[in-house]
Amino acid sequence: MFNPKDVVDLLALNVRKSRNPFGVPNSQLNTWWREAAAFTRRPGEALLFTGLMYQAVPYLEAATRYLERLEDSDFADYLRFGRLSRYLPGLLVGRGFSLLTSRAEKRKFNGVLHSICRLLAKSGVGFFYHPDLDFYSGILLYELGDQDGFVEHARFVARTLKLHGVRQVITVDPHTTYALKELYPKYAGEAFEVHPYFTRLRLPPRRANGHEPVAIHDPCFYGRYLKLSHSPREVLRSLNLEYMEVRNCGEFTSCCGGPVESVSPALNREILGRRAAEFKACGAPVVTTCPICLANLLKAGLPVEDLASLVVRYC
Amino acid sequence: MALVNPEFAAELKAYGLDTSLECFHCGSCAAICPLIHDHFPRKMIRYVQVGARDQIMQQAQDLWRCLHCGLCTHTCPRQADPGELILGLRRYVVASWRRAPGV
Repeated sequence: MFNPKDVVDLLALNVRKSRNPFGVPNSQLNTWWREAAAFTRRPGEALLFTGLMYQAVPYLEAATRYLERLEDSDFADYLRFGRLSRYLPGLLVGRGFSLLTSRAEKRKFNGVLHSICRLLAKSGVGFFYHPDLDFYSGILLYELGDQDGFVEHARFVARTLKLHGVRQVITVDPHTTYALKELYPKYAGEAFEVHPYFTRLRLPPRRANGHEPVAIHDPCFYGRYLKLSHSPREVLRSLNLEYMEVRNCGEFTSCCGGPVESVSPALNREILGRRAAEFKACGAPVVTTCPICLANLLKAGLPVEDLASLVVRYC
Repeated sequence: MALVNPEFAAELKAYGLDTSLECFHCGSCAAICPLIHDHFPRKMIRYVQVGARDQIMQQAQDLWRCLHCGLCTHTCPRQADPGELILGLRRYVVASWRRAPGV
């Protein structure tokens, strides 16, 4: 396990420097929209707010690959020197990360956002996207206990959105949804109307011939904190896509281990191993609605895809 | 020997910990916690109740093993919200580190 203080300090520094946990410019992290055609910048009823989570996964995975080798070694303590990265220009850090992340990985996770766009457009949802209004929510700072850092960042994001007249947002992942829906009103003093994208889908019914049943992995935030497990199931039912439940699902879903990855990749592996065993026993391909869970379950060697990637093929 | 401080729970309210005295130590949270680790999180709640600040600071690293998955809070029969208590303790510890950066 890394010293949590080093991890918290490094992440807080990066968020202050670049408004995301990696210390790279948002413009480098957030490129998916350049290849997405299904949205307009304005007008639109609701802002599509990705929270940069899907875009961040390839970077997160690259960082974790190295952290895994360092954990519990004599070099683990060197993480405290990560704070020296404040002297590196964001573009240089970004260039370094670019070399560590594959184009295929970025395409895979950006592809989920493209699918979400297509599904929203097909459902007749009036939404718009603007990369300059899309920010990391700060949720990791909150979860790691850096309350001051989180509140400062959340206020910056909330203020920027309010300044541009944003009242309604459509979110794509559970962590950002929880931050905007529950934490921003409490700590940033601003409330938005927050809709996870799958609650807005109204897709024409289709019979999915030859589709094998999928097993659903509910992320903790959707399952317990936001009580939204029923919603992805409704989407699957509306398209006649069969699904099956594992024992720990819905409000009693099991964590995949992802939240602890930044301080202990080894503990993440342990928790992930247990969750993966449940799905391996069930034998069906897995579907989830969280980029962190998606990346983690993929790491366990499971056949897993995002809900949007699955649904877009059947409508 | 650990020094106890009954006022400690009140001090922690500033960090969002205002349900710690609800806990009656049934152990449901430790039983359902995926960490299966040394009576976590119940042990930390006990430290808060008796004001064992030194114990919390010495074992602070354990707080960051928590997955924030919410199973403990979901199953707590006393609505003591163990998950939020652990989060509040992280805030307290981070604030303590920042007040004394050399520690």
